[in-house]
Amino acid sequence: MAKFLLYRILQAVFVVIAVTLIVSFAIRLTGDPAVMLAQGAGSITEADLDRIREALGLNQSFLTQYIGFLRGLVVGDFGRSFMGGTPVSDLIGRALPATLALAFASLFVSIVVSIPLGIKAAVSRGRWPDQMIRIFSLIGLSFPNFWLAIMLVLLLSITFNLLPPSGMEGFSSFIMPAATMGIILTATNVRLVRTTMLDTLRSQYIMVARAKGLSNTVVLYKHALRNCSIPLITYFGLQFGGLLGGIVVVERVFNWPGLGTLAFEAVSARDYPVLQGVITVLSLMIISINLLVDIAYGLVDPRVRKE
Amino acid sequence: MKKNKRVLNGAIAGMALSVAFSASAQAGSLTIASPQDPGSWDPIDTFLVNWASVATNIFDGLTYRGPDLELVPGLATEWEELDEGTRIRFTLREGVTFHNGEPFNAEAVKFTFDRLLGEEGGQGPQRSNYTAIESVEVIDDYTVDFHLNEPDPVLLTKLAGYGAMIVPPEYLAEHGDEHFNTHPVGTGPFKVVEYNPREDVQLEAFAEHWGGAPKLDEVTYRFISEPSTAVAELQAGRVDIVIPPTVPIGMIDTINNHDGISVVSVASPTVEAIRFNTQSGITADERVRKAMIMAVDRQAIIDSILAGEGEMIASFQGAQSFGNDPDMEPLPYDPQQARKLLDEAGVEQGATVQIDVRGNDATFGEVAQVVAAYLQGVGITASIQPYETNVLLNDIIPAGRTGEMFQQKWGGWTFDFDNTAYLMYHTGERWNPYDSDAELDEMLESQRSITDQEERETLLQEIAQYTQDRALEMPLYSINALYGVSDRVENFEPAPDNRIRLTNVDVSE
Repeated sequence: MAKFLLYRILQAVFVVIAVTLIVSFAIRLTGDPAVMLAQGAGSITEADLDRIREALGLNQSFLTQYIGFLRGLVVGDFGRSFMGGTPVSDLIGRALPATLALAFASLFVSIVVSIPLGIKAAVSRGRWPDQMIRIFSLIGLSFPNFWLAIMLVLLLSITFNLLPPSGMEGFSSFIMPAATMGIILTATNVRLVRTTMLDTLRSQYIMVARAKGLSNTVVLYKHALRNCSIPLITYFGLQFGGLLGGIVVVERVFNWPGLGTLAFEAVSARDYPVLQGVITVLSLMIISINLLVDIAYGLVDPRVRKE
Repeated sequence: MKKNKRVLNGAIAGMALSVAFSASAQAGSLTIASPQDPGSWDPIDTFLVNWASVATNIFDGLTYRGPDLELVPGLATEWEELDEGTRIRFTLREGVTFHNGEPFNAEAVKFTFDRLLGEEGGQGPQRSNYTAIESVEVIDDYTVDFHLNEPDPVLLTKLAGYGAMIVPPEYLAEHGDEHFNTHPVGTGPFKVVEYNPREDVQLEAFAEHWGGAPKLDEVTYRFISEPSTAVAELQAGRVDIVIPPTVPIGMIDTINNHDGISVVSVASPTVEAIRFNTQSGITADERVRKAMIMAVDRQAIIDSILAGEGEMIASFQGAQSFGNDPDMEPLPYDPQQARKLLDEAGVEQGATVQIDVRGNDATFGEVAQVVAAYLQGVGITASIQPYETNVLLNDIIPAGRTGEMFQQKWGGWTFDFDNTAYLMYHTGERWNPYDSDAELDEMLESQRSITDQEERETLLQEIAQYTQDRALEMPLYSINALYGVSDRVENFEPAPDNRIRLTNVDVSE
């Protein structure tokens, strides 16, 4: 088990290095932050640009810059934003809780809605509740999240003035962004719950349970749901990682002060340290979730360890 | 029982009073949506207009230029040019204090410029605009001399904005640069109470401001980058002013049709043009360039695509720019004459050109399509090539890798044609990858050393005429700055350069 753990952790470190290397290299191909900073100055000369590049450390070779970044990473120092010099760790420290809160809220919405709907669809397979749920799930899947977000704002904030259109100011601010992310996740999850449930309901122990004369509720919630919850939890865990990456658009529409907004602005401004920092944190989180899932599998199923 | 009731009534009245009191304490608060957090409030760190639109309320410069663009005294009450423009003596305002109580004096001015031109300033983009300053000499507590390497006719204007804002020496010595970035202190009419990076910055009236206490008690700037979100906040009544360039043309009707809010616009210094590759392709021929300009009905573009929120321009500057000649007419829309010029130049029907545009600029995308349609009308097929904005600005234009034509948008916060003209037309400049004209170079250089403003204006107008004669670009329009404003805002005067000073602004309930 120790060997397996060590192997997976080394693999995770390698992935972080690969991801940050690709991101750092790619963003440096897209434009010069010195020019971005100087835009508007008008009479900027090459000497001025060189001076700014030197101050930002951009005159060093890519490898030197990248090694500097990795060195900082080891001690938790992501460097400073090019736009104003705020330490990147401070910016991430502010944005990460906002993103995590939104991601948890969205996942919560989707789990609470998708499990009962998925079960209902499975037990009434082929009949009208199943058809309706599947149609709604397909509609939910077809909505682009930005469109859904804008529609919610128009309806709930502008027409009925019920919720704040943007920002993070307490519970009411969570409803629309979490619903936007949640509806789209729910659409996927309903189908997953339905399929998993159908498989479970076909298994022999369910037939045995039914044959024993147990009530439908007990069969469904005590036997079937518990058994299909393992793949579902795994899937929701992995989905949480994907959610972090997909949150950018929703954060932007709702002006949510999270990692997505931070990353978006960093890309527009060619703020390398901020972007490197955000991507590193996101990839570390996704890798950690995967790692935890793998370890859990390893613990449960000895066959995985031998792979 | 009766007594109890009276007590209860008294308590209710008291509560009502306290509610009324807290409501009146809130009466003077205003919320503004700004598209971007500059990241640092230090004047030497940035050139973002979004910095200036907030910081113009936190800091003061030696000079001040309000919405009417007149240059008036700021922290300097008067100034005098000496030694043929190579020395400027400023008399400073007395009795001014920074928000932390530190006195403003000649030492603060010297400190500000030593810092700007020294190591700290060298790390930021601002220094390049003030390199004409050799040194600042303290004459007495309230007099300073600026010694210049060479006369800079635009310097007084530059002192009204951005990097030249006066900063407090003691505060910086005590707390350092990094602290100053997030806890700025100036002499302006509002002081910073709280700054939440990427979220908002909250200001409070600085009652001891030399210009008198502001009418508002509190101002909050919320950073909202998505235009539709900012407009939604305005519609929901949670934001009072949306500052440019957030309000897109397409949302003017949405705002105006909503109760209690409207769009207020003012001519801005931002101009748009389609510039030509004067070196190769059919646009190397001056007649072709003129023909293309005459083939396009620019007024129709302004009326339809810009919803009238723009003015036609004859050269690459707006009506407020120093050096603009109001008598200079844009080349007329005359497709017949255009076709004749194209025939003379031997351009055949179906000749092709490429127009490079910024990919994220939806309005200009439409403009480019209409331009292409007009060019089709005289037999030229134009294709539109959108680039990611920074790629276009950093890699394509400076490297001379554009198509025959390319979009150029230009701000021009100094409201002086010098800055634009020099960078657009002087040989070897970053924004001038194609053209080289010795006569034009000489004109551009000579106006820089002239301190007689009338003489300079004439020369700048000649430069504008010269560029029109050579048809170096297709001047399209100057764009209005569009503000979304709630009806509760009073005494609001839109600033052409987004720098609204809130001293006189008030709100009604």
